[in-house]
Amino acid sequence: MSVVVADRMTQRFGAEVAIDNIDLAIDAGEHLAVLGENGAGKTTLLRILATAARPTEGTLQMFGLDAWHERRRLRARIGFVAHEPGLYPALSATENLEFFCALQDVPRPRVNEILDLVGLAGVARRPARFLSRGMQQRLAIARAVLHDPRLLILDEPDASLDAEGAELLKTIMRSRTAVIATHDHALANRLCHRTLVLRHGRVQGIPTRLRVVH
Amino acid sequence: MRTIVIALAVARKDLTSEWRTRELVPALAQFVVLALVIANFGFQFDSSNANAIAPGVLWMALVFAGLVAFGRAFAAEREQSSLEAMLMTPAAPAAIFAGKAMAAALLLIICEAVLLPALALFFAVPVSFEVVLAVLLATVGMAALGCLFAAMVARIRARELLLPLLTLPLWIPFIIAGGHAVQVGMGANGSSEQALALLFDFDILFVVLTSLAARFVLED
Repeated sequence: MSVVVADRMTQRFGAEVAIDNIDLAIDAGEHLAVLGENGAGKTTLLRILATAARPTEGTLQMFGLDAWHERRRLRARIGFVAHEPGLYPALSATENLEFFCALQDVPRPRVNEILDLVGLAGVARRPARFLSRGMQQRLAIARAVLHDPRLLILDEPDASLDAEGAELLKTIMRSRTAVIATHDHALANRLCHRTLVLRHGRVQGIPTRLRVVH
Repeated sequence: MRTIVIALAVARKDLTSEWRTRELVPALAQFVVLALVIANFGFQFDSSNANAIAPGVLWMALVFAGLVAFGRAFAAEREQSSLEAMLMTPAAPAAIFAGKAMAAALLLIICEAVLLPALALFFAVPVSFEVVLAVLLATVGMAALGCLFAAMVARIRARELLLPLLTLPLWIPFIIAGGHAVQVGMGANGSSEQALALLFDFDILFVVLTSLAARFVLED
């Protein structure tokens, strides 16, 4: 069953076409890598899939629901790691996650479990502004999986992550559907079942099916 | 119930951040005291006209402090790219907005706790219960409107210019009613009851309207 079904999805910013007529179907449990050079439309595509933006034309259905009109319901099932970590610098790692527990209606004990998972248990009380960029990225990933989403949308999550960070991505993507934008072809090959290459907002060629390396 | 929980969580988060960084309140408190010092030297006042001048000075200081306080509420979220993370949850935008407005109003009330005694000191005017009540009632409605427009202009580069242009005209009813109540509270003839009731009505009106509008402003 397809979790994501996009039909002729187009996104315009004024006269500029960021995403051009994209058809897409992603099955449950499938991992899709979105590749492409800077400005190809990767972030725009991921923001639409995360319900942060509405396509100008075309339709997008997720879990059988209209992605824009049912966005609040869908957001409980989607975990999004955006380009910027978007953390509260004065709050500790724990406080950042506890705040999102309140917004996501998740019990607070889940915070310790997630901090353990992303390897930040040792710096749980440290304010986010004193965390390294890689640790901040881990915290952003922790926030994205706090509510145990079924679909993960990851916009260049490997930026600033070390080799262990790539293992973390593999762990959080396991048993979830995931769309990941990256410049790292090796990482895409390692984590994803399929790749989709974007160029000037259009899909290049036929999406490639990969042999996932475990 | 969820709305209240979310609003309180957002307000608590903003107040904790301010407590840790102390970015806004000390600067605002200094600003209102400096405004009073300048007014003290700028106006030729004595015991006969202090009651007439002091309310005007109070509202000028309050309005400009409010613009800074409410402007920062959403500008900081945009700068650290955290607003989108908040909006990407199932939380109602109205609840998030209510929390932001509550925190901004509380920060302004802390500044008012500096402003009102300083006003009594510099202008030798009484700060009665009516004065405090008028200022607090005005703060609620002004916070609701100020935060709504702050959210609207947060993504615009010229937000510092646009925020006063959009907000000040809609704050005028609070300044008229609040100004009257404060004048009476400081010894002018008349009753402040009607002005205070009007401020309360404005609060209800603008809190409801801004809560309804918050969804469109934050999400679209």
